[in-house]
Amino acid sequence: MAKPGRKEQATAVGSRPIEKSPAAPRRGARQHRIQFADRQRSWRRHHLSVAREALLRLKQTPVASLMTLAVLAIALALPGFLLAALGNLQALTSDWDPQPRIALYMQTELGDDAIDSFSRQLMLRDDLASVELINREKGLEDFRRYSAFADLLERFDANPLPAVIMVLPHNTDPLAMPLVRSELAALPGVDEAQLDMEWVQRLAAVLALAQRGSYVLGGLLALAVLLVVGNTVRMTIESRRDEILVSKLVGATDAWVRRPFLYSGFWFGLIGGLLAWLLVQLALLLLATPAQALADLYLNDFQLQGLGIQGSLIMLAAATLLGLSGSWLAVSRHLREIEPGDV
Amino acid sequence: MAAIRFSNVFKRYASGQDALLGVDFELASGEMAFLTGHSGAGKSTLLKLIMLMERPSRGQVWVGQQDLSSLHRSQIPYLRRQIGVVFQNHQLLFDRSVFENVALPLQISGYDPADAARRARAALDKVGLLTREKHNPVTLSTGEQQRVGIARAIVHKPKLLLADEPTGNLDPQLSEDIMRLFGQFNSIGTTVLIASHDLSLINRMRHRMLTLKHGRLVADG
Repeated sequence: MAKPGRKEQATAVGSRPIEKSPAAPRRGARQHRIQFADRQRSWRRHHLSVAREALLRLKQTPVASLMTLAVLAIALALPGFLLAALGNLQALTSDWDPQPRIALYMQTELGDDAIDSFSRQLMLRDDLASVELINREKGLEDFRRYSAFADLLERFDANPLPAVIMVLPHNTDPLAMPLVRSELAALPGVDEAQLDMEWVQRLAAVLALAQRGSYVLGGLLALAVLLVVGNTVRMTIESRRDEILVSKLVGATDAWVRRPFLYSGFWFGLIGGLLAWLLVQLALLLLATPAQALADLYLNDFQLQGLGIQGSLIMLAAATLLGLSGSWLAVSRHLREIEPGDV
Repeated sequence: MAAIRFSNVFKRYASGQDALLGVDFELASGEMAFLTGHSGAGKSTLLKLIMLMERPSRGQVWVGQQDLSSLHRSQIPYLRRQIGVVFQNHQLLFDRSVFENVALPLQISGYDPADAARRARAALDKVGLLTREKHNPVTLSTGEQQRVGIARAIVHKPKLLLADEPTGNLDPQLSEDIMRLFGQFNSIGTTVLIASHDLSLINRMRHRMLTLKHGRLVADG
């Protein structure tokens, strides 16, 4: 049914270059067009059937295929899980103010008025960017609300908490901060000055390090995936040696011979990636409850994040790409060795 | 026009063995010829050069209008699609049916599946094995396997048909049947070149005979 239609179309195209062109080349062109369309169609058909056969071939050796897929899934899940966990930690700490502040704990004997005027004096200083006073009542209220040790307060007759003034210096350089701190600590009325929030910076640094580490680990595991797929495909090539030889003898191109093996690698990557994705989601599901409990302790409205749509797609794409590359490596190394020279 | 032309062709293998020493001949289009000689005389090498399974060390080989020395590696598959080959050890694949074995060249060349099936059945019919199309070749007798190999070689109607000892393991009666089959293909215009050392059979066939001895063409006629 399609054939006459294509022929008509080809004729129409062929007749366009007006009368001048001789008849013979026009016929040649027409024929070529049809062959080209046919070739396109058979190329698509071959891709589909080869993709299907490669998938069925995995099923023919279920144990070996499952073993390979399990190795791939674990190798892919590990970096996926690490990156998801780090993503969560970063989300958790991102609301935290990373700017280092100095907390001035005021002597409890000082009255509210004295502390108030002291804080106003601090505001006049050029080297401080901001000054925030947390008076004793506010401190008590916060402690009651946020601390797990709120019960302790009932043991005291009076408010045991000192007033605190949080100051942010203009110069937050790690070397300059201690100098500002000791200067402020020496001021009359200040009981103790503490460099606060330094640990947030440290945590961020640790997280960055862990992220870098998981990239390195991910790279190594990606290499492992390449090798596993490459080796599996190499064995498939060996087991189909006769078929490759005969195909080459009856006129198969390199691309034709290569195709089934590339599809094997494709499926290994894609299915391995899907399994890895499942593993990561499962692990996160297991962690969700304890993570929620922990977040509740800190009164944080933190929610454990999965890989997300983007993360999942990246993971699947990376896995598929690794599978394809692994098989490409094996195919380009071993297929050329199988030449019908010594039949 | 010549279907095959060898011009002063030498072939020395990497091992240092000289397989062909200055071979010159022409096979006209539509001709049928036998290539004979003792084993090791260079018959297989000669056929391999035509298929570009090997390249000559010196000299030139033409297939039709094509000078094979100018053919790039990537063009070799398209040369092989114009040639049908029958091997002594038939080279059938035992992981698929007789029909699938015969249809393989068509599948590789990108034929429409329905068209390919029709042509594969026609080829099987020609060698008398249409009823066995669904069998696995391993269940067939040696003679039948060889006929499946022939069906695969002619399924795409090649202009040139090569055979390397096609009757090697067959009894005289079967051998004669096979040779008659080749004669039939030749009678419809296919150029046929058969390497064989079965002299008594060849003599009965009354076709041109090229004789190789230690890599040299010593007799032609």
